[in-house]
Amino acid sequence: MTELTIAIAKGRLQAEALALLARAGLRLADEAHLSRRLAIEDESGRYRFIFIKPADVPVYVEHGIADCGLVGRDVLLESEADLLQPLTLEIGRCRIVVAAPDTNLTDGFGMLRVATKYPRIAAKHFGEHGQPVEIIELSGSVELAPVLGLADCIVDLVETGATLRENGLQIVEVIAESSARFVVNRASYQLKARFVSSLLEAVKAGMQEMVVRPPSPIGRETG
Amino acid sequence: MSESLSAIPSGVRYYFGSEAHLRRAIEQAAMTIFKAWSYEEITPPTVDYYSLFERGMGSVEAQDAFRFTDTDGKLLALRPDVTSGIARAAATLMAKRERPLRFSYAAPVFRLRAESHAEWRRESTQIGCELIGRHGCAADMEVLAIAVEILSFLGLDGSYTITINDLEIFNGIVGSLGLDATAQEELRELVDTHNARDLELFLASYTSAEECASFAQLVQLSGRSEVFENARRVITNQRSAAALGRLETLWTVVDSVGLSAQFEVDLGDVSRLDYYTGLLFKIYVAGVGTRVGSGGRYDQLTANFGKAEPAVGFVLDLDALAEAMRANESITRLGEVAERTAALIMDEDPKVLFREALRKRERGDKVLISPQREVMP
Repeated sequence: MTELTIAIAKGRLQAEALALLARAGLRLADEAHLSRRLAIEDESGRYRFIFIKPADVPVYVEHGIADCGLVGRDVLLESEADLLQPLTLEIGRCRIVVAAPDTNLTDGFGMLRVATKYPRIAAKHFGEHGQPVEIIELSGSVELAPVLGLADCIVDLVETGATLRENGLQIVEVIAESSARFVVNRASYQLKARFVSSLLEAVKAGMQEMVVRPPSPIGRETG
Repeated sequence: MSESLSAIPSGVRYYFGSEAHLRRAIEQAAMTIFKAWSYEEITPPTVDYYSLFERGMGSVEAQDAFRFTDTDGKLLALRPDVTSGIARAAATLMAKRERPLRFSYAAPVFRLRAESHAEWRRESTQIGCELIGRHGCAADMEVLAIAVEILSFLGLDGSYTITINDLEIFNGIVGSLGLDATAQEELRELVDTHNARDLELFLASYTSAEECASFAQLVQLSGRSEVFENARRVITNQRSAAALGRLETLWTVVDSVGLSAQFEVDLGDVSRLDYYTGLLFKIYVAGVGTRVGSGGRYDQLTANFGKAEPAVGFVLDLDALAEAMRANESITRLGEVAERTAALIMDEDPKVLFREALRKRERGDKVLISPQREVMP
C-alpha cells in the first residue's frame, strides 16, 4: 500500500526533481526511469509517482488525486490553485519576465498587445500598472510573436536568456522569480500528516546535501 | 433542437436513485442530531436582497451570488449562504428572544462560480447550525461535539480529522508588526499556504532575523498538545498569547472527552480572516480531496445587522459528506433505513389493492404498485 502519491511536472523540471527526490531517499528503479508508464512506484513501495504536464500538477493535487506535487512557481501563479506550499526547492530556477524588441515599450497610453502562455500572470501584472493590454494566448514559441508582429511584447519564462537574444528580444521587466515548489493537498496535509511530514523532512535533508547553485543576479544582461 | 434540450448549465446536476436516497438520509440524520441538541430548524428565504449577503458575507464573497432585479429595481440574489439570513433574523425578527438562540438548517445555496477548482458545483446543500448569543469554550465545544456526533453517526469514525485554530493568534502578530491592510493580506496568504520560505523573506523587513525564523516556524506548527508548548516559546504579544490560552483550554476539553485523536491544532489555517473572529475549524475526511465542512466563531456578523453578539457555528457540505461515505464504505447503515422489506402489490380490485398496500405501509414495508404480477426483490 503506497503512503503518498506525488505528481511530478514533466519536462523542464523532471530530471532535477527526480535527482532531488533520490537524494531524499526516494529512488526509482532504472528500468522504471526508462519505461513510458505514467505512474510508477519507488523502490520502497511507499510512494507512487505520476508524471503529468506542469499545468496539470496543481489540478491533480487540488483534487487530492495526488497528495503532493513538484511544480514551478510560474505554474502555481497561473493556476491560482488553493494548495499548501510548505517547501521552496532550489531547483528549476527561472524568471517570469516581460520581454520586447525594444526596452522602451510604450509611450504610456496605447494598448499593448502581449503574447504569452501565462494569460493570468500577464493580465494581473499589467492590471497592477494600469496598462491596458490585449492578451494573445499562445501555446509555444512565444518569442516569435513580436518578431513577426503578432504582439508588442511577451510574458514568458527565462532561464538563460539565450532564446530571447536569438530572437532579438530584451528583458523589459522581471515580474517574478520562480523556482520549484513542493505543494501539498490541504486534506492530505491533515489526514496523512505523519507521511507528509516525514517526506517533507526527507526532502529538506535532500536539499541540504545539494551543492546550492547561487541564484543568478537579476539584470537585463543575464536574461 | 434535441441538443439544446439535453444540455444543462455547468455546475448543476440531477440526483436520483440511491444517491438521492443517501443524501436525504444524511440530511435527516443530521437534522435529528441537531434537534437532539435543542437546535431549532430554520429555513431562510431562497431569494433575498443582494445587500443582505453583502452585509453577511462581505462584498467580495457576495459577488459570487446569482443576481437579478425585483419589480421595483432592487437587486435580488439566490442565497449564496444560509448564515446571512439567520444572522439578520437573529438581530431583527428575533431580537427580543431569550439568548442563546440555537438554529439548524439543511438548505441549498447557489454560487455563480465554484468555490475552488476542485469543487465544481454551483448548487450545493449546506447542513449546519448556529449558536448565537454565547461566547466561550463551552459554546465552541458544543458545536464541535455536534459535528463529531454527525460524522460518527455517518460511520466516519477514524476517517476524519478536525483542525482547530484561533485567528486572534494571527491577528495579534499582525498587530505587533504594525502591518497595513495590503501587507496583512500578503502575510495571511503566505501563512495560509504554509509558505515558510517566502514568509521569512517577507517578515525580514518588519522584524529581527530571530523573530522571523520563529514566526515562520509557527505556520508549520500543526499537531496535538505539543503545538502549544512550541507556540508559547514564539509568541510574545498579549493578544496572541490570550488566544493561544483559549485554544489550549478548548483542546483540554476535546482531550478530556476522548476526542483528541480526531483533532489537530493547525496554527497556519488563516483562511477567511474577514469573517471569522476567533475559533476556526475545518473538517477533512479520508478519500475526499477537499474539505467536507468548516466552521468557527464570527462575533462581528450580527453587528452588521444592528445587534452585536457572539456567535459560533459550522456548515457541512452534503455532496462532500455523501462522497466521504462512499469512499469509506459506510453507506450501508443509513442506506438500509428506508430500504426495508419489499412488498408485492398486484393490480387487482383497487379496494383490495389499497387495503393491502396501506396495511403493508403501516408495518413499514416498501410498496410498489405494479401492473404485472411480479415479485419484487
